[in-house]
Amino acid sequence: MAELTYLQAISDGLRTEMRRDKRVFLIGEDVGVYGGAFKVSLGFQEEFGPWRVIDAPLAEAAIVGGCTGAAIMGMRPVAEMQFADFISCGWDQLVTVAAKQRWRAGTPVPMVVRLPSGGGFSGGPFHSQNPESSFAHIPGLKCVCPATPEDAKGLLISAIEDPSPVLYFEHKHLYRRIKGEVPEERYTTPLGKARVHRDGDDVSVITWGAMVYTADEAAQKLESDGISIEIVDLRTVMPWDKAAVLESVRKTSKVLVLHEDTRTGGFGGEIAATIAEEAFEDLDAPVKRLAAPDTPVPFSPVLEKAYIPQVDDVAGALRELAEY
Amino acid sequence: MATETAVDVVMPQMGVSVSEGTITRWLKQEGEQIEADEPLLEISTDKVDTEVPSPASGTLTQILVQEGETVDVGMKLGQIGGSATAEAPAQESAPEPEAAQEPATAEAAAEADAASPAETPAPTAPEPSAAPPTGNGKAFVSPVVARIASEHGVDPSQIPGTGSGGRVTKKDILAFVESGGAQQEQPQEQPAAAPEPAQAEAPAAPAPAPPKEQAPPPKPPTPAPVAAGETLPGETVEPITAMRRGIAEHMRRSLDTAAHVTSAIEVDFSRIVAVRDKLKKEYQAAYGVNPTYLAFVAKASVETLRDYPYVNAEMRGDSIVTRNFVNLGIAVELAEGKGLIVPVIRNAEGLNLLGLARGIAEIANKARNKQLVPDDVQGGTFTITNPGGYGTFHGTPVISQPQSAILGTYALVKRPWVVEDDLGQDVIAIRPLMNITLTYDHRLVDGALAGRFLRDLRERLEGWEGDGEG
Amino acid sequence: MAIAREAGPVGSLHEVREAGLDREDLLGIYRHMLVTRGVEERGHILYRQGKIPGSFYTGRGNEAASVGVATAMGPDDVGTPLHRDMGVHIVRGVDPWRIFAQYMGRQDGPTHGRDGNVHMADAQLGLIAMVSHLPAMLPVATGCALTFRIRDESRVAVGWFGEGASARGDAHESMTFAGTRKLPIVFVCDNNQWAYSTPTHLEYATEHVADRAEAYGFEGVVVDGTDVLAVYREAKRAIDKARAGGGPTLLECLTLRMEGHAVHDDAFYVPKPLFEQWAASDPIERFRTWLRDNAELTDEEEDEIAAGVKRLLTTALERAEESPQPDPSTLTDGVFATPEDLDTPHHK
Repeated sequence: MAELTYLQAISDGLRTEMRRDKRVFLIGEDVGVYGGAFKVSLGFQEEFGPWRVIDAPLAEAAIVGGCTGAAIMGMRPVAEMQFADFISCGWDQLVTVAAKQRWRAGTPVPMVVRLPSGGGFSGGPFHSQNPESSFAHIPGLKCVCPATPEDAKGLLISAIEDPSPVLYFEHKHLYRRIKGEVPEERYTTPLGKARVHRDGDDVSVITWGAMVYTADEAAQKLESDGISIEIVDLRTVMPWDKAAVLESVRKTSKVLVLHEDTRTGGFGGEIAATIAEEAFEDLDAPVKRLAAPDTPVPFSPVLEKAYIPQVDDVAGALRELAEY
Repeated sequence: MATETAVDVVMPQMGVSVSEGTITRWLKQEGEQIEADEPLLEISTDKVDTEVPSPASGTLTQILVQEGETVDVGMKLGQIGGSATAEAPAQESAPEPEAAQEPATAEAAAEADAASPAETPAPTAPEPSAAPPTGNGKAFVSPVVARIASEHGVDPSQIPGTGSGGRVTKKDILAFVESGGAQQEQPQEQPAAAPEPAQAEAPAAPAPAPPKEQAPPPKPPTPAPVAAGETLPGETVEPITAMRRGIAEHMRRSLDTAAHVTSAIEVDFSRIVAVRDKLKKEYQAAYGVNPTYLAFVAKASVETLRDYPYVNAEMRGDSIVTRNFVNLGIAVELAEGKGLIVPVIRNAEGLNLLGLARGIAEIANKARNKQLVPDDVQGGTFTITNPGGYGTFHGTPVISQPQSAILGTYALVKRPWVVEDDLGQDVIAIRPLMNITLTYDHRLVDGALAGRFLRDLRERLEGWEGDGEG
Repeated sequence: MAIAREAGPVGSLHEVREAGLDREDLLGIYRHMLVTRGVEERGHILYRQGKIPGSFYTGRGNEAASVGVATAMGPDDVGTPLHRDMGVHIVRGVDPWRIFAQYMGRQDGPTHGRDGNVHMADAQLGLIAMVSHLPAMLPVATGCALTFRIRDESRVAVGWFGEGASARGDAHESMTFAGTRKLPIVFVCDNNQWAYSTPTHLEYATEHVADRAEAYGFEGVVVDGTDVLAVYREAKRAIDKARAGGGPTLLECLTLRMEGHAVHDDAFYVPKPLFEQWAASDPIERFRTWLRDNAELTDEEEDEIAAGVKRLLTTALERAEESPQPDPSTLTDGVFATPEDLDTPHHK
């Protein structure tokens, strides 16, 4: 075990797979000499060479489409979007070609697109988004959103191993802020299996990514008031661990669904609806959602703080549920 | 721009994911003059090494973070201008008042909490948004509470609620169900917990729930310890279920409330038996419903009640309340003697024989399968109980409060019976007979009224007209 | 003024032999062109019989271009043919009965009724199924070429697009990337002069689409798409060059779309004389004449080939009509791939 940052854990996972499996290669803008905008692949080109750590032109459609073709040809491509926001330029290749290929033509497309996502540092409307729900809505795509360094490595290896296209959302705000013990050996963390981040009895928080930590801080605040919060970290949004969510709901009967993405059409709506359908008779309060408002991500720190759910917002929502 | 006021030098954010930086070199020492934008120090981060230009012109009055130290982005590193005070960095970083209200980061928020006493008070103070408990007993019953109530045959309105507006929460009902012991420990409070008859029309949740921090909801429990030596050899001890407790309480209360008197009558069921034989196949085939004797009695009772409003009435405070409808309670025994429940067929006066037979079958099924919802057991105006299934020919049931009477039906048996033959002679015939009792609240129903009710009921049954379509 | 090289027609049998085709090959090409047209003609009939759901698209007029390029491909090469390129499927060896089953949405079509018309491909034959978003298959073909380069394999990818879709960014991004990396790919532009109802002068401002190639750093070639031998010669040259590490080529095959965009479109917007002019150089008739003039194609041979094609298609149609409807209970199968799906030669 070594203590790694979330970012180092991602590098570690990618390096582990590239050393183990010659079919794995990395392609993206500035991933080679520069080591990636966030330095995830720093030193990779020296180790693996320019044809396995490929500096692509500024062409997301070519990057994602190229990975699709390579995957069909038997490779295990990993694409890096410089920011998750830019995946919009590769949407067609991902959604129109890669996602549907297995279902309609029987051709599996085992590829990973890494998406540095999330806000919290004035990235503004084009460097801060959390577009996971858009892709969770597309049949054929998997969406992974690790919160801890250990999961970041294990889930990345699982994603590369997976026979379907997987979007790997790595939260930028966790990159260097979050550190944790990460096993040095290779291991996989299964897709579709949630993790109880914090055990509690009174209210459940269903969340993922950076919001796991926001929820945890809020839970700590409420602890002194005798309010016990359970935090379920989904880890993957598609497939999502319905059983774990329902189990927590049955335990506490009160739920807050929390995400950093905007509210309307956010994946929290799907979770809330499922709870209403399948655990109605276990509810002791309305299912509550806390998410960003339906606006683009603002730039100014003051505005961004008003946009991203804060610890006090979460604590307030949890207190309301506890007292309902 | 020269400045008299102090300007902070902070660790810049050199990229969106960078959270900390290391000071590699101060290019000025404390006391030296510096111009705005002139390089002040050098820092190193994960992504880049760079110079930090001075944010203002003036004297470098303080260096708070030394070379080689690594600090978070946003941390104050030094100060230009102002007076050199010997404050420690931690104090320096205390936010200004506005910042205390709106800390820019979670870390800052934590610092603000620590630094500002104004931020510390009582997380225990109730949120203003939480409505005070009203204890009116009409509070919303959540899905999980409704389910637990139905599973345990508990009336949520009888449980003290600690939720918003006095609502019964899942914890409240679980504590209630699991803690028989809580009540046992305070037997003197039991009578107070039982609503007075005058209040019975809307069984109220007892007292408004007190604020949480004063009286937490009853903890389920440490099971009530049994005093040593209380169990004799051969005795078995089991906890009283919530349902049994409810039945016990209700039975006692009814006997304490009503003046119970029972009258009985014998009814010749010859005609009913014949009609039923005829209908049975048809009902079974067409509707899957068995026209039971109970259904016939129910039909005749509902019709007879039209003429005897007091038998279908209630004493409510200083008033007598009569109705133009009959909500007919049917006493149902749950499996294995688990208890008794009285689900209600609403507006029984509108149902024909088929409708009543079906209604009885439905509520009995629901009761046995624990599918009754609170509405199914509320609002009865008259009850029929059928203890005759095991051959008993008489009984004195207890009235379901706040009703004024309960009808008992007993075993249908063949007996020698004196009848008049065609010549007007008395002869002995074999006839199917049933005893029927009416137990009534003598406060409201006189003996003669009860007698006339039973007479009319017998006439309806013996002279059954039609095949049930009526 | 044209920048791309304008390739001339193929003249003599001698010239063809130099390009690597013997007489059997030539008769094979002729047969493939007849099957290509025959499949689509029968498709029209099926459509009018109400046996094909949705719409119906053909590549009439493009038989020489599609057959010519596909004939030049090596067995291990891969391609992403489009809805005008039935000839590619035929040359690569897709059974016509499976194409009819695909048309009719039956269980035995390559997509088992999950996708329609020519949105199909047999991966075992080196083909990747197209999508409706054009030219979205160009980045995919580029990725195949990238793979061959990474693995240092002497294989070539062929990516098709139309002159209409050349306007979209996918074409630009693919050619930029393939050009910078000198990837083993041939971009084939089926220029049939009409993007639905939009004529070429509203689609691009250069004389040829292939004129752009120079800007991407590789060669552009324009060829008469009704001349199957010229198409073959230019495709072979481009594929060989790519295989040898010489990088991409943009090969533009000039034809006319001889029918509407789809079966519901009567192409009223195409000037009548244009149709008449191009009908005079019908690719099949043109090649038949060439074979008679240059390769001694006899009446008997011609009848025998035509009869064989007719038999093939009749049998294929019968077999396709026997194919069951897809089973709705399997609808949600295979949204995600399983590890077993990867048990193919590509993924070893």
